Amino acid sequence: MRGTPTSRGQSFIARDHRYVYLGGSVIALVGLSLWYSAPSPYSFLPAGSVPGTALAAVCYFFLVVSTLALLVKWTHWSSYGETILKRPALVRLSRYLSYLDAAAAALLALDRFVLKLAYVVHAAVHAESNPTGTLSSMVYMAYNQRSLFVTGVWTTVQLALAGTAIAFVLALLMVFLRIQEPDKRNNDFVKLIKIVANKFARFYIFVIRGTPMMVQSLIFYYAIFNLFKRTGMSVTEINRVWSLFISGLVTVSLNSTAYLAEVLRGGILAVDAGQMEAARSLGMTHWQAMRRVVFPQAIKNSLPAIGNEFIINIKDSSVLCVLGVSDLMFMTRSVAGIYYKGTECYLIAATVYLFLTYLSSLLLKAITGRMTAPDNTKRRQGNQTVDLGLPSSN
Amino acid sequence: MTNDPIIKIEQLEKSFGDLHVLKGINLEIDRGEVVCIIGASGSGKSTLLRCINLLEEADSGHIWFDGQDLMDLKVDLNALRQKIGMVFQGFNLFNNKSVLDNCTLAPMTVRHIPRAQAEETAIRHLKAVGLEDFIHADSRRLSGGQKQRVAIARALCMEPEIMLFDEPTSALDPEIVGEVLDVMKRLAQEGMTMVVVTHEMAFAKEVSDRVVFMDRGVILEQGSPREVFGNPKESRTREFLSRYLEDKMA
Repeated sequence: MRGTPTSRGQSFIARDHRYVYLGGSVIALVGLSLWYSAPSPYSFLPAGSVPGTALAAVCYFFLVVSTLALLVKWTHWSSYGETILKRPALVRLSRYLSYLDAAAAALLALDRFVLKLAYVVHAAVHAESNPTGTLSSMVYMAYNQRSLFVTGVWTTVQLALAGTAIAFVLALLMVFLRIQEPDKRNNDFVKLIKIVANKFARFYIFVIRGTPMMVQSLIFYYAIFNLFKRTGMSVTEINRVWSLFISGLVTVSLNSTAYLAEVLRGGILAVDAGQMEAARSLGMTHWQAMRRVVFPQAIKNSLPAIGNEFIINIKDSSVLCVLGVSDLMFMTRSVAGIYYKGTECYLIAATVYLFLTYLSSLLLKAITGRMTAPDNTKRRQGNQTVDLGLPSSN
Repeated sequence: MTNDPIIKIEQLEKSFGDLHVLKGINLEIDRGEVVCIIGASGSGKSTLLRCINLLEEADSGHIWFDGQDLMDLKVDLNALRQKIGMVFQGFNLFNNKSVLDNCTLAPMTVRHIPRAQAEETAIRHLKAVGLEDFIHADSRRLSGGQKQRVAIARALCMEPEIMLFDEPTSALDPEIVGEVLDVMKRLAQEGMTMVVVTHEMAFAKEVSDRVVFMDRGVILEQGSPREVFGNPKESRTREFLSRYLEDKMA
């Protein structure tokens, strides 16, 4: 089927009849299973109530109709199209019936799922002690230790945001070193500098990408701590300058630099070599061509992968909890220690991480989408070429 | 201005690994001359052209431009390339720039010409190639023929002394080859020195002062279009031209 996703959805709902009985039956079964689940104190459709029973009856009725339709289909497999069920009036009627079925199921879902959830949350928030149910316990701990979790989330977001931003700047420098290649026309000194720069960048990327960030964080922390110590600073002074957060941020930044440098290098390699040749043929230096022509395109190419690195940093900054950086993971471990409830606490952490990464991916999609789309004036100019009837290559 | 050739190539050799592409090329190009280089694919035409502005480094031999030996490693490449315009088969317009910015980037960054003046020059050249309506267009959204005309205007904005064309129409649909060739013809009439690697035999016949036939890394034959097309001396040239005509007929 062609068309945009929205138009496809519209035509599926309005015209496509193939899945009405099947889809409606699934909805009816879900509605019925909710009806037979235990109601909550918030319920407006208690078990046995007249409106609730009526909604359940709608679901039952739809199931019966669907079963009859199935039987007709079975018995008239090849001539189903000619049966009474394919008359336009009946087709339309069955569709309206399916809407009624969906509305009934939706009301049951509101009563037995949404309101039940609201009750569980309300009860857990006001509970005197940690409840036994998994969800209740998660809500209870998340609510009662909210200040710890909020601090943790804030630290994690700071680490990921600042870490990726610093890494991006460092990666620009690193990839600049990485792409240096000695040229026949360079003098020996320039050749040497270029070789050293290239080898340094390769070595840095090799080491950073080849070791776990957890190990890196410990090495950075202790190594720099000891360096400060050698200058004769007291531990309190060192802790002020070289705090756990700072050392965590340095770890994330330096780690991400290696990955982002490779991302940017990929972006540069993806720019057609002809762009560089054209710039050089006009007399631009290698650096001018890089800065004005190749880099802007390379960064545009790399935007999705840079966003991805940010999302990775949200998750991977969790390893910094071994240092004691008060990120979301560290805070979660603290809460787990308080209540002695591992599963529930780490489920909270997982939920929050999932929410953060999902939110970030939505934001990044919106941002990179805008940055990579050509603006309107240019699009109008582009259409002009089509209006003139000239064929377009590329 | 002297009467010396603007470009003099002597015993130029170039290999890519085991592939010996240029096997001792000797060629002189005079000021104001239009030279078309023809030959089969892989005969080294494009490599020769790319060696002239050092997009490829030749292995040995000499290339004199204005009396300056380009094979001398101390030569200022960037200053030199400003005087040699190049037009590519794949257009290579800067994808991140508008048509106007494509034309003003090099004059502004390399020659430090103020924007207003650079834009004035660019608009003049864009008008000359018939693209005044597309000055602010996104260069990616032009047709192939338009792109190539922008590429020519872009090269002209640097006010080069010679223009190199590397199969400028090979990537174009047959029906829009003409719009690019027309621009090149006009450029030739204005007295621009041009070296054109091409498969457009009609263009070579009509516009060039001299046709150079390359085969397997050597210049096999050269002369006026009348000599080379009318009465080729070498059997390889005859073979190439007849095969070419057959292809045209087919």
